Amino acid sequence: MRLRLPKPPQEKDFTSPAHHERVTSKVGLWLGIAFGACFVTGLLSHAVQHPPDWFFWPSRPINLYRVTQGLHVISGIAAIPLLLAKLWSVYPKLFAKPLVSSALHALERGSIFVLIGAAFFELATGLFNAAQNYPWQFYFVSAHYAVAWIAVGALLVHIAVKLPVIRGALTRERTTDLDRRAFLRTTWLTTGVAVLVTAGSTVPWLREVSALSSRSDKGPQGLPVNRNALAAGVTNVAANWRLEIIGPHGTTSLSREQLQAMPQTTAELPIACVEGWSQSATWTGVPVAELIRLVGAQPGSVVRVDSLERGGLYRSSTLPGEHTSDPLTLLALRLDGHVLSPDHGYPCRIIAPSRPGVLQTKWVSKLEVLA
Amino acid sequence: MRIVLAVLGLAAGLWGAWLALPLVTFSPSGTVSVLAWLGGGPVLHDALLAPVVGGVSFAVLRWAAPAWRRPLLCGLAITGVVGLLAVPALWRTYANPAATPGLHDRDYALGVAVTLAVVWLLVVLVGLVRQRHEKAGPRSAG
Repeated sequence: MRLRLPKPPQEKDFTSPAHHERVTSKVGLWLGIAFGACFVTGLLSHAVQHPPDWFFWPSRPINLYRVTQGLHVISGIAAIPLLLAKLWSVYPKLFAKPLVSSALHALERGSIFVLIGAAFFELATGLFNAAQNYPWQFYFVSAHYAVAWIAVGALLVHIAVKLPVIRGALTRERTTDLDRRAFLRTTWLTTGVAVLVTAGSTVPWLREVSALSSRSDKGPQGLPVNRNALAAGVTNVAANWRLEIIGPHGTTSLSREQLQAMPQTTAELPIACVEGWSQSATWTGVPVAELIRLVGAQPGSVVRVDSLERGGLYRSSTLPGEHTSDPLTLLALRLDGHVLSPDHGYPCRIIAPSRPGVLQTKWVSKLEVLA
Repeated sequence: MRIVLAVLGLAAGLWGAWLALPLVTFSPSGTVSVLAWLGGGPVLHDALLAPVVGGVSFAVLRWAAPAWRRPLLCGLAITGVVGLLAVPALWRTYANPAATPGLHDRDYALGVAVTLAVVWLLVVLVGLVRQRHEKAGPRSAG
């Protein structure tokens, strides 16, 4: 007796209007836009954290990084339903015969496998990272960065191959096929819902609407904390703690009382995390520009900030000149009028406009003017 | 234009592969992990997700009344995507332990349930309205 397996489907078995190339092109166009926005904002965030010599990042508007990083996560999330709709639209091509017709065709199919693999990798790891969830054994930052280049490279090759098809499909008259339009409407609606249920991580008025928002209002002093004092090993700050400031004309050290006695600046500035959540708060402290003047340096100098934290990837940060000359770059002592809680960086922390949260160094022990 | 795009794409892809090289050669478990996450997407999609989507759509188109087909498919698409987006929030085996309140401490199961309840309420409302329209006149296909 011969066992008969069900036959796999063929390309012509898929008759739904969702598989029309005009639908593919329309969804693909928006998917391309989402990927483009995600890639550019991702590169910006990478450059802000690891600035090459030629790179310049402004300190204003104060919400600039909050907006670019919020856009990074939102466009990535929007790309998830768009990618699924796009793949459903071209799914019949998986069963096209012959499997490979020429070397060029093999190359094209191979590039599509790379594209889909890299695209899923970026969207899935990004989504998990935004939830601080790491079910893998590699370092997220380098992997997400490297595979982003692979994804965008494969996407450009894919566009190059398909350009005549895309052009033809998008320049033809507006579709009157109601089923095709219904598929597109469902795609846009699903994408909208995906954004709506997550964007509350960064958009203030959506916080109570977005069921999957990462931040809540239960944080210490009403503001979420990524790394707390316990994890950083800075639960007890010595009574004789002093801020050390090293400059071209010597060194000085200041107690918290002395810092408090200096003229204070109060400003509303956001904490904008690389994981996409952000929240504004009112901070009070001494401008870094005034502190480095005490050791003979001018605002606009590059300043290295060290934390009391002994380990950890982010125990120190470097403030570029653009930020040290901004009067809103503060060594903050207070949050919403109250002394900083240990989790927010007591005795003092850096809070600067338009910077990633990981560079807003907490539990500061030393400022060193570099150049 | 096409050649420029292809060359740029090839260059970007090779640069990415060069950057990824230390990741895949770092440690055996790391290599397996990277390759599984790279290949897992297309394989899971093509072998599992897409057939399920196809089967469910087929069932809806076959057995649901015409007025209900589109609202049902739309509701199912939204449910599927919200379900996928909720995975990292609900499955926390490998998540950083939530040491400080304020992040990842909402009741996500309840939130997703309420969101989907709203979605399905709308599906039912739209379905009922379409059903009534269809009975009133045969014209309304959209």
